[in-house]
Amino acid sequence: MADIDAGGPDGGEGVLVHRSVLRLVKADITTLDVEAFVFYARPDLALGSGFGNAIARRGGPTIKKELDGLGPIAPTEAVVTAGGDLKARRIVHAAGPVFQEEDLQDKLRATIVRALERAEERGIVQIAFPAMGAGFYGVPLPVCAELMVSTIASYLSNRTGIRDVILCANDAREHAAFETRLAALAPTPAGAATGTPHE
Amino acid sequence: MLNATPVRSQKAARVIDRMSKKLNRQIAGSLAACVHCGLCTSSCHYVQTNPDDPTYAPAYKADRIRKIFKRHFDWTGRVFPWWVGAASVYTDADLEELKDVAFGKCTNCRRCSINCPMGVDFATANRMMRGLLVSVGVMPEGVAVVSKDQWEIGNQMGVLKEEYLDTLEWMSEELSAELEDPTAVIPVDVADADVVYAINPREVKYDPRTIADAAKIFHLAGESWTMPSEGWDMTNFGLFSGDDDLGGAVARRLYEKVVELRGRKLVISECGHGYRSTRCEGPNWAGMDVPFEMESSVLTMLRYIREGRITVDKSRNTTPVTFHDSCNNARSCGLYEEPRELLDLVVTDFREMYPNRSENYCCTGGGGAMSMSEYTPRRLKSARVKAEQLAATGAKVVVTSCHNCVDGLSDLIRHYKLDMQVTQLVNLVATAAVVPARVAVPAAAGRPAPSLAGRRILVVDDEPDVLVFYRSVLEDHGATVVEAADGETALALARREKPDLVTLDLSMPGTDGGMVFEALRRDDTLTDVPVCIITGRPELRRLIYDRAVRPPEGYLDKPVDDETLLRNVRKILEVT
Repeated sequence: MADIDAGGPDGGEGVLVHRSVLRLVKADITTLDVEAFVFYARPDLALGSGFGNAIARRGGPTIKKELDGLGPIAPTEAVVTAGGDLKARRIVHAAGPVFQEEDLQDKLRATIVRALERAEERGIVQIAFPAMGAGFYGVPLPVCAELMVSTIASYLSNRTGIRDVILCANDAREHAAFETRLAALAPTPAGAATGTPHE
Repeated sequence: MLNATPVRSQKAARVIDRMSKKLNRQIAGSLAACVHCGLCTSSCHYVQTNPDDPTYAPAYKADRIRKIFKRHFDWTGRVFPWWVGAASVYTDADLEELKDVAFGKCTNCRRCSINCPMGVDFATANRMMRGLLVSVGVMPEGVAVVSKDQWEIGNQMGVLKEEYLDTLEWMSEELSAELEDPTAVIPVDVADADVVYAINPREVKYDPRTIADAAKIFHLAGESWTMPSEGWDMTNFGLFSGDDDLGGAVARRLYEKVVELRGRKLVISECGHGYRSTRCEGPNWAGMDVPFEMESSVLTMLRYIREGRITVDKSRNTTPVTFHDSCNNARSCGLYEEPRELLDLVVTDFREMYPNRSENYCCTGGGGAMSMSEYTPRRLKSARVKAEQLAATGAKVVVTSCHNCVDGLSDLIRHYKLDMQVTQLVNLVATAAVVPARVAVPAAAGRPAPSLAGRRILVVDDEPDVLVFYRSVLEDHGATVVEAADGETALALARREKPDLVTLDLSMPGTDGGMVFEALRRDDTLTDVPVCIITGRPELRRLIYDRAVRPPEGYLDKPVDDETLLRNVRKILEVT
């Protein structure tokens, strides 16, 4: 993995995937100065506790007001709101699978893709992801990291306007899990781009 | 005709599957060993207060888990299920019943465990059951809220980093002012300190005075100490929810921060489950060797006094006190004598409660019970045992080394109308600590108190005496005071007078303080006006902080003295 200065939060370590950067930072995702970040939402779009609590308090009441007119949404679907008073300009609220439900991995892949698609529809070129479904919702961290890196790399390998994807680890444990998966994705010393580009 | 095998729900199947991974020798032994002798029954505070309801008996509750173990993991249940009471779970409704038992009828206090002649540790099996249910999303709403906060924000009360650091800065200023010593501060993220001090987020949100008191003790002891800016929460809801992954993640964040700071010792503030989680269970959950020493602040304070690093004057604490043993500190970690030795050094009138030490009763707020509001009536009913224990001491203050116990005891004291206060050792030690005479700082000497002239303050309270007190204190220092005795008047005056600050009581007839607070925040012309809540009902704090508006700039508990009122008003108005 190489240090990549792609602007935004602290550069971070990452890899080039076709024409985009996939990189890793350790931070509270709700404090990132980015174009957009993903919130692992519930279908009813209630912000609730955890990151939702931080979004509500740091971002102010306008986010919730905007959400009131958008929900509920189907599982694996995503919607975009403004970022309110947050540094992030947009939030992609993506309703992922929870608590060992059936077909969890397929649903998680679909949620990640849908979040990217919804961002792309809004012309967003920079987006940060938390460890999707890991932690409270019980997706095992190694599964989460493998699935996120492979799904996002695959997406970036196709024609896309998204140029900068940030994996935002909440602690050292998450950082280590993503670092391992990104290292496996990193180009060989010959420097070839990774993923499966077919543009 | 053969009976068809019932279809098992996804969640039920996952619970059984995961149980196979969670069973260890201790749990399997506890599930296999019960002979239903009934000796555990009378040890449970739920049973004592519900004598006609057998579903509260520890053996009965354990059987709800045991039947699944027998059916799927023990040969007797596979061969003779009817003989050993083996049965499975099939539906989500079955899991809801298990939730009711595992979360709603036991605080995991382990009093039954120490009274079992067979060594059955029901609390450990119950914790496993909680963890299995949590893994499929079956849990009380409060458990979900707290768990998600701790997973994602890093502490179980959702305190944001800026709020935490702001509170430390505030308490640091309070300490400097109290000791009239600019070197008396709270150091943050200082590397190579002898002590890294980690706290409970409740201290930040509801009881910051305990932080200032601890800082005072460290300062007077001349300790090389610091507090971490991140990973500072030494509590761990994984102990209560049974989620070992959460337990490991939370413990690891704290350990890694201490390592990063190269701290030599981690001192854990007074919290029973925090101490047990961090000191005893955390290394196992986190799967790491912890390369530094860990200690309860109770031992730290005791050591400072014994070593002469601080001097105490017990005559400053003359109110009769008793001591409540936290289940996690005492039964699970053996902290019995140290808090009593410390009390003997800092109070004049200590009265033991009976039974005590390992036989003491639960505060009834343990095991995460304070976060499960759906079970509050059961909890308060079961608290009668504790209430009778407290009343029999004749003490006016109950001391405990656990924040959960502070909340549990405070709630039952209100419910049973006992004439008692709850406090912690750190408060008593800080009060008793003798501040050595020192030369006054020249810059501060003779400096007049900062004036509040030109500041318009709206004071809101339904008690006339309180309004008179606020008015006299604030006007004596130059402020212009406007009074309101109810919520409607307060809002009308706020819109007309455009005050620089509102002090707001919460419990008022009609439009209560919470509604006034939210209305102020949602009014575009008043949203920036700072608000200082002053309430005699600290349990209402959550009603304020859970609102989707900016939190108040200040929060004080009644009774409030003139110095505290002025100090907080000046801080909020930035009058220095």
